[in-house]
Amino acid sequence: MESSSGAAPEFDYLFKLLMIGDSGVGKSSLLLSFTSDAFEELSPTIGVDFKVKHLTLGGKKLKLAIWDTAGQERFRTLTSSYYRGAQGVIMVYDVTRRDTFTNLSDIWAKEIDLYSTNQDCIKMLVGNKVDKESERVVSKKEGIDFAREYGCLFIECSAKTRVNVEQCFEELVLKILDTPSLLAEGSAGNKKNIFKQKPPESTDASSSCC
Amino acid sequence: MKSANNSKGVMEDNDEEEEFEHFDDFTLASSWERFISEIEAVCRQWFADGPKNLLEKGAVQVNQLKDLYTIKSEFKYATKSYCMEYYFTTVDDGKTLDWDHALHDLQLSFGVKEFVVIAPQSASGVVLDAPEASKLLSAVAIALSNCSCLWPAFVPVHDSSRKAYIGIQNMGTVFTRRFEADRIASQVPVKLMHLEGLYELFVSKFAYTAVDWSMNHFEVHFKMKLTYRTPIHDDEDEIHDPDADITGSSENPEGEMHGKAQWDDNFPWSKWYSAEDPVNGFELLAIWSEITAESSLDMAELENASPVEADKWFLSPCLSEYLSDVSDGSTIGFASQLHLLVKALEMSSEAKFIEDFISVFANSGSEALKSSAVVPPQTVLDRVLKNLFHEVAETEINSSPTEHKNSRSIKGAPQESLFAQFCLHALWFGNCSIRAISVLWIEFVREVRWCWEESQSLPRMPSSGPIDLSTCLINQKLHMLAVCIDQKHREAEGQFVDANDSMSSQEDLQSPTHNSSSHGASKEVSDRKDESSDAANVAKPMMLLKSHKIMHAPITLEPPPMTEDMHEERLKAAVALGDSYSFSAQLETEILASDMSAFKAANPDAVFEDFIRWHSPRDWENDENEENGASESSSWPPRGKLSERMSDLGNSWRKIWNEAPAVPASEQKPLWDPNREGEKVLHYLETLRPYQLLEEMVCAAFRAAADTLNRTSFGDLKQMNIKMDQLCITIASVLRIFLAQNTTTDTELLEDLRRLSTTFEHIEKLVLLAASLHVKFLQSPYLGQAIFTDCFNFYLPNMGTSSANAHNDTQREFDKKQQIRSGDRDLIVSMFPPPTANQSWRRVLSMGNLLNGHEPILREIIFSKRDRASRSYYAASSPKLHQQDIETYRMYVSGTSNDLGVALAVASFD
Ligand SMILES: Nc1nc2c(ncn2[C@@H]2O[C@H](COP(=O)(O)OP(=O)(O)OP(=O)(O)O)[C@@H](O)[C@H]2O)c(=O)[nH]1
Ligand SMILES: [Mg+2]
Repeated sequence: MESSSGAAPEFDYLFKLLMIGDSGVGKSSLLLSFTSDAFEELSPTIGVDFKVKHLTLGGKKLKLAIWDTAGQERFRTLTSSYYRGAQGVIMVYDVTRRDTFTNLSDIWAKEIDLYSTNQDCIKMLVGNKVDKESERVVSKKEGIDFAREYGCLFIECSAKTRVNVEQCFEELVLKILDTPSLLAEGSAGNKKNIFKQKPPESTDASSSCC
Repeated sequence: MKSANNSKGVMEDNDEEEEFEHFDDFTLASSWERFISEIEAVCRQWFADGPKNLLEKGAVQVNQLKDLYTIKSEFKYATKSYCMEYYFTTVDDGKTLDWDHALHDLQLSFGVKEFVVIAPQSASGVVLDAPEASKLLSAVAIALSNCSCLWPAFVPVHDSSRKAYIGIQNMGTVFTRRFEADRIASQVPVKLMHLEGLYELFVSKFAYTAVDWSMNHFEVHFKMKLTYRTPIHDDEDEIHDPDADITGSSENPEGEMHGKAQWDDNFPWSKWYSAEDPVNGFELLAIWSEITAESSLDMAELENASPVEADKWFLSPCLSEYLSDVSDGSTIGFASQLHLLVKALEMSSEAKFIEDFISVFANSGSEALKSSAVVPPQTVLDRVLKNLFHEVAETEINSSPTEHKNSRSIKGAPQESLFAQFCLHALWFGNCSIRAISVLWIEFVREVRWCWEESQSLPRMPSSGPIDLSTCLINQKLHMLAVCIDQKHREAEGQFVDANDSMSSQEDLQSPTHNSSSHGASKEVSDRKDESSDAANVAKPMMLLKSHKIMHAPITLEPPPMTEDMHEERLKAAVALGDSYSFSAQLETEILASDMSAFKAANPDAVFEDFIRWHSPRDWENDENEENGASESSSWPPRGKLSERMSDLGNSWRKIWNEAPAVPASEQKPLWDPNREGEKVLHYLETLRPYQLLEEMVCAAFRAAADTLNRTSFGDLKQMNIKMDQLCITIASVLRIFLAQNTTTDTELLEDLRRLSTTFEHIEKLVLLAASLHVKFLQSPYLGQAIFTDCFNFYLPNMGTSSANAHNDTQREFDKKQQIRSGDRDLIVSMFPPPTANQSWRRVLSMGNLLNGHEPILREIIFSKRDRASRSYYAASSPKLHQQDIETYRMYVSGTSNDLGVALAVASFD
């Protein structure tokens, strides 16, 4: 799967990650915190922002292309461009604002269903701004429950104090590394033949009527 | 004549049995004895093994009979070879076999469970005459008794169609049973057509010939099974020319049906093709299980009885043969056309332009092209185009009522959309050859261009809304075009369009007035925080910070609709711009600037903070007191402030604000140009490569066909719903791999698509079957479901296999029956409408037991005479059987009034 010829390759895998969630939940801040160890005020994102981060994980050299989309409603129909081909999606909410949490199921989860071109793509739920513990309105348990229901990873973190920021991205990437179809992605000629695999399980199809 | 002569033996009144013991010629001793001992050795082995071990040694299940297995062995004697087969069951529950079960002919004929048959190898073509047969039988009989084995043994006599057998069984005591069966295939004596005569035949077997038994009463037991077949509706219905549908020009099957109602008229596929009813009819079995008759009179009476009086009823469907055919497309349906479409796909890479497939043919193209070159006449083409573009029911446009949840994952087009309908038409246009498709496509695109030039809205396409990227590109392009046409149309009418639906209202569509501060504004903005309060509480308008004037929300420009390829281009552009801090997307920046200009134009006194309060309210932080509802006038301006990130000096939003001129949306350069985009779509359609077209057609056709089948109502059939789910998932995943591959001539991919069509064919047949049963059992849905389940379980195992495997399988026949509850008998009776005067005139009825005037197609009777062994003629010398009842005579009669089979088993003391 790795490129073999010539000099040592720059990276073993290239993954595309996408960050979504309401405006102001701290997507750009999280990304900045992860890529540059910094926390500073950033303008609200216009459309999309895009960062590359190299890291080594599990002995693999990885290149991450992270797309930070705008939460602003006005840009939403255009944001669909950026979902294409993402192996991981980070869904961010602000633990101090309930509407950002409820919008994940009302709006963002549906956007993923609509625009994600990758069936197996890994989703991660992130509750940001845990440093503002006193203002917290969304409990950790609610986050866990949502993640369980929607079948995704979950973590709480703070872009400001950098608590759990690295873990957030790393856990997502580890999960992608665990998923063969995502790993294989991009490497051509590696197609599967579903006729040679088992057919989908039929659940007690043969039980008789009456 | 021959059969009449041959029907001596059982049919004859006086019972002159063959005496096997008369055969005592041992001149051939050596080879004859060797033959016997060979048979004996094999029997001994089988006997010692028992059913369990025999199964391990390769005994095979006898077709369709649940619990009957057979193992065989071959012998040579003289120059002939023989095959001996032992038939056995695995569970011996002591119960006598009933004809609720599926039984082997010999089991049924002679009332035996396990048995041995020896016959000349069928390959050697030898047919035994009576003396030869008895010689062979005696060999087996000797062998069996040598190993004190009690199996009955049978030998066929004459040719197999006559089903004549002789047989013998050592009962382990002093009894021996002898068997004999024969058949009269024509000219059945009148006497034997009726129950009376058959009874007398049986009685004659044990009554003294001297006695005039018609005067005496002989108590015999018997059971009877009558089989009825639902009448075929009309003779003309039978005439079905399978070629008629295939011939190229018949795009519209209704044309040939002379307007006669078809069984599938109301089903969703009937718009495209008319299918043969998979259920040809039903067979009803009426069973009388225990009757005692004492005289011929009883029998005559019984023959007048209606089958409604029978103890048990069973129903089994007569299924069309095409259900079990693994035909790879010879049965007409969506699947057959999908096969053709895949063929067209295969050929589509032979030319660069769609036009080539029309012209190339003229100057003698490839052989393959020629062979499939049927193009329907202009009238058919016109009809298709008319249907596509003009015959659109209002409801069709934006309805996806029963769209399957998984069908969206197939990259096609919604079922009622223009392209999906195009694909369905293409399947049935001509032979779905690449040439016919090319002709249809060119005309289709021409028609689309006409809509564009004339600003006529595109039928079957929504003219607004986001473009669904999960559909195929052509559908997206057509959606784009529909939006462009709509936009063009409105522009032509001088209307201005508001992008923001939530803000649109009637007045939005007025031309903006040029004389007031509400320049280009649609309405006043109310504080969004009020939206959550009760409706009774009238929202107070938002006021501009500096001037304390009412804030007007501007009409804004609509962002461009985008198809998949446009999104991809944007993505590439973004990647190319790379990793920079100041990076933000160009289009979005333009939109923001445009919004700001419009806002400024609508609110000349506005400041940046006002814009943020409207556009991104989260970034405006109100003071506590204002939220508590302090009077506005007293505390104006409110003591709110921009969020930290917005107030940053280097803030890109403020930069754009500072540079934005005050221009109402109507005077701005639009964010996109519908004229240009529409023209681009048409260019795309007009220059589409044949292979690309076919690729998209394959996807859209599979989805549209699946969606069409999906709309079939077949009641609550869990297994079918699961199958439909699986079909969609399978189609989606095969097509995903197919689309991911860019090579045009990958044979393995084409093979996958062909297999997908075959899979589709299986499901399609099952859907038709389910639908057919559903309508037939509307009154007793559970019965329809039960029958369907039987069929489903019967056909499914074969359906996964490829055609090669299926041919090895010996043809099995569906034979499942459902017992009918008494409450459902009326429904079944209604399937037998009384024959019309015309029909009954033609018919000669010779059997009784009519059901609504229909006579049974088969009558089976088992007569039996039991004798208490102690009182029987033979009792004296058989003290062992003291208390036992023994069936001394048994006769099985099967047939109709002109085809009669009789099998007799007689136990006797030797
Ligand atoms: N206390 C605290 N504030 C944070 C944290 N993360 C982000 N913020 C603040 O939240 C505000 C919004 O952060 P952004 O990163 O711009 O939010 P965003 O999700 O990118 O917003 P859009 O680009 O509009 O979608 C900023 O003022 C950040 O300083 C955090 O972990 N703790
Ligand atoms: Mg941001």
